[in-house]
Amino acid sequence: MTDQVAERRGTEKLLIVDADVHVSDTPAALAPYCALPWRKSLEALAQTPARYLDIPGFAPSLKLDPPIPGGHAGRSVRTAAEMRAGLDALDIAVGILFPDNLLLFAPIPQIEYATALAEAYNRWLVEEWLQTEPGLYGALLACPQNPEASAREIARYAGHEKIVAVYLPTAGVNPLWGARKYDPILAAAQAAGLPVALHSVTLVSPAFPCQLDQFENHFARQVLSHSFAMQANLVSLMHTGVPARYPELKIVFTEAGVAWVPYMMWRLDKYHQEYRRMVPFLEKRPSEYMKERMWFATQPVEEPDDPADLVATIGLYDGADRTIFASDWPHHDFDHPKAILKLPLGAETKRKIMGENALALFNIPAPDRESAVG
Amino acid sequence: MAEHLIGPAAEFPPGTHRVVRVRSLEVGVFNVAGRYYALPNVCTHQFGPLCEGTVNGTTACDAATGWRFAWVREGEIVTCPWHGLEFDITTGRCLANPRVRLRSYPVTVEDGQVKLIL
Repeated sequence: MTDQVAERRGTEKLLIVDADVHVSDTPAALAPYCALPWRKSLEALAQTPARYLDIPGFAPSLKLDPPIPGGHAGRSVRTAAEMRAGLDALDIAVGILFPDNLLLFAPIPQIEYATALAEAYNRWLVEEWLQTEPGLYGALLACPQNPEASAREIARYAGHEKIVAVYLPTAGVNPLWGARKYDPILAAAQAAGLPVALHSVTLVSPAFPCQLDQFENHFARQVLSHSFAMQANLVSLMHTGVPARYPELKIVFTEAGVAWVPYMMWRLDKYHQEYRRMVPFLEKRPSEYMKERMWFATQPVEEPDDPADLVATIGLYDGADRTIFASDWPHHDFDHPKAILKLPLGAETKRKIMGENALALFNIPAPDRESAVG
Repeated sequence: MAEHLIGPAAEFPPGTHRVVRVRSLEVGVFNVAGRYYALPNVCTHQFGPLCEGTVNGTTACDAATGWRFAWVREGEIVTCPWHGLEFDITTGRCLANPRVRLRSYPVTVEDGQVKLIL
């Protein structure tokens, strides 16, 4: 949009960085990038009729609900050019790419297969998504099934100009992030200067948050799954002293909104003062670590009747500096940038949340192109 | 400022502490390795009787300990009996939140008598 158009529409120029958008990572797409024999598995899976986030042996899930015709559109983005066009339509200049199906990566039990699949995804991501279009950056898929190999993978991509984070698959991960078996991954991310980003998805599995099968419908499971996953993994990271043991590591929490953040800050602080001697590696209060080196992505942003209530909530956790915009494009519950832009936030806070915080966090150079949004 | 007699130092050996009442004020007086300290008997958290708690050491775990648990500061930490908040007797600081600091009162020993100065 030109300056004149922006002026005519009464809009301001604002750089929008989106911390969470999703690429369509089908078995067919990844197969050519996967080592044998597991390429054969992906080629076989490519024959399976595609269902959204539900592919046995690739995106293992237990889908319990009967289909009800209607509802919102299922969307997927299959190429970098498609993604660029989609983000342009949303006035988003920079997007950080996460997978679709491999949101369900953590429950895959076959260790060698999981390792090969993670390597295939990372190669595919770099070669198919990060070469041509401006403003697309990637999060490496970490492999909790094989932390040592995953650490080597992170070191291999360290310094790649378009790799800006390490995605920690969170749905179905067992034990939770923070367990000491994952230390090599966190150490490698810290050494590479890459933030780690937790991302969950609604999943019925024996891992926390388990027993989501008791709910009659996906509505209930969706309400609980992401936010409980983020809270549990935050506690897990804290209870083994990750922020103290990895003092340069930056940690990002995605797709759980932000209103849970002050609640967990207060709750962690309350029990830290009571049980400090169990966690003596925490030399600061948990809330201080959260305010120094943790970031929280907006989507799916809470929508209280009075938007000022959300602004007040963001203030409770020093959110002007801790919050980063995310759309979750193209998923069903994506947030348009206007979901944040309409909030009664100050201009500087808006600039930070919509772009500046994420640029600094992910160490992304400011792009030439800026979006004009209203 | 006034001196308040606590008792003979000979009856207040290292490693012991007691709570004394001066007017309406309750104060914990501690002998830590031969040195006396006094703190209000009120926890900063929910006003529990802090100085009626146990005096102990605590855990440490950091780069200096090789990230292994260590037992440190034996005799220097008082733990509130209500919710377990730990305070450094020698500084009055809360271990979980060092920005929180209890006031401390001077204690002197004269002619073998321990005296609290309020």
